[in-house]
Amino acid sequence: MEDLLTQSTLVQLRVNGKLHELEVMPFTSLLDLLREELHLTGTHMGCMTGHCGACTVMVNGRIAKSCIVLASTLERAEITTIEGLRTADGKLHPVQQAFWDEAGFQCGYCAPGMLMSAVELLKENPNPDDAAIESGIAGTLCRCTGYRSIVRAVKAAAVRMNSPEA
Amino acid sequence: MSLYPLFARPRTVQQAAQVLESMSSGVVVIAGGQELMPHVNHGVLQPEVYVDINALADLKGIREDDGLVSIGALTVHRDTFSDPLVAEKLPLLVEAMKLIGGGRQVHNRATMGGNIVAMHPLYDVVPVLLTLEAQVEVVRGAETRRTSLKELMADPRHGLGSEAILIRVLVAPMAADAGFAYEKLKSSGGAYGSANAAVALTVADGVIASLRLVIGAVADRLVDASEALAFCIGQSWSDALASKVEHCCAGLIDQPLSDHQGDGEWRKAMAGVVAQRAMGRAVARAVAQEGR
Repeated sequence: MEDLLTQSTLVQLRVNGKLHELEVMPFTSLLDLLREELHLTGTHMGCMTGHCGACTVMVNGRIAKSCIVLASTLERAEITTIEGLRTADGKLHPVQQAFWDEAGFQCGYCAPGMLMSAVELLKENPNPDDAAIESGIAGTLCRCTGYRSIVRAVKAAAVRMNSPEA
Repeated sequence: MSLYPLFARPRTVQQAAQVLESMSSGVVVIAGGQELMPHVNHGVLQPEVYVDINALADLKGIREDDGLVSIGALTVHRDTFSDPLVAEKLPLLVEAMKLIGGGRQVHNRATMGGNIVAMHPLYDVVPVLLTLEAQVEVVRGAETRRTSLKELMADPRHGLGSEAILIRVLVAPMAADAGFAYEKLKSSGGAYGSANAAVALTVADGVIASLRLVIGAVADRLVDASEALAFCIGQSWSDALASKVEHCCAGLIDQPLSDHQGDGEWRKAMAGVVAQRAMGRAVARAVAQEGR
């Protein structure tokens, strides 16, 4: 059984559409991998306990707190970070644009969490009410406590994404 | 042993069991990592070997097995509480799991197995599984054993031991006319309740015919209040009965937890409150079913 034990592991990650083959140490979090190896610093480090959500990314289409995802357990995975939200022609994602237009953020440290949560929520529920939005962003803390403007921005994003031009 | 931690990714349950059996202490099983990683990041836990069980396909998914609902240990919370079979057969589990804290990010990665083996008194899944008298399947070496979750929770080592793997949970479907409720009292915006109660009961001709109730988050171990509440059988729900339930359940807590979720005396009192509220809601549901 000793032959199963390794000091590092090969992972194949498609990050924002680009394939990376990386040799990772067993204790490396996905957050560290993204920031330190791939230099994608839009994903923020907050608490390292899974409380704050500033490190949120999408793993295989579902949002996750990258600080509490062990990179070596992602043998093959598709990752989208906040950098990967913008459209192919370089425009902001409709959710990002709505946060910009509505001044959704104050300091913006929680942006990865709020934006990713809103993207996932709106994919499942294109017309969320206040309660659905609040529960949708519950995994991310805004230390500025600017939740009202965040909820307003998510609503604006829903309208934007439901309009025929979007 | 290496100076740095080692990593193993077994491909079968047998392989995983063998790896675990061949190790001494310092080995951890990792699935979603939602319980483990905060401890690792803060140096509380320094594993020497990580055994990643994500490749064990047998541990994934929900199915019906010999009349029981089988939930694989690797099934993530979102997949469990949005599963149609679970919604139909185990609505109490759905109600409780939707209240699990940490947000969508955690619901997307945290697993059934991880939630159970964490043996955390504040977590929301085990009170429900004890209420529904769930069984668990555990592999240790070459042996696969099915045991009641109650027995597992009563183990003085307070857990599985590092050489075993939880494979799946098996739960008998709830009666179609059952009344049920999960009450989670939160004193702050955090993830945990200060007192939780799960109840499943039946009502016949307006009176309580059967009852199971488990209280969590108030003591180191979960408290099964079902036997102590036997006086409710044959009674209809009333303010007087609610008050009796409240006193009885608070009285069952002799060593309450005192932590961020509230001090001990208050937690003891709240054990009664959540029990009474959960039962009131469950009876109302059952009566509505009966009236149909």
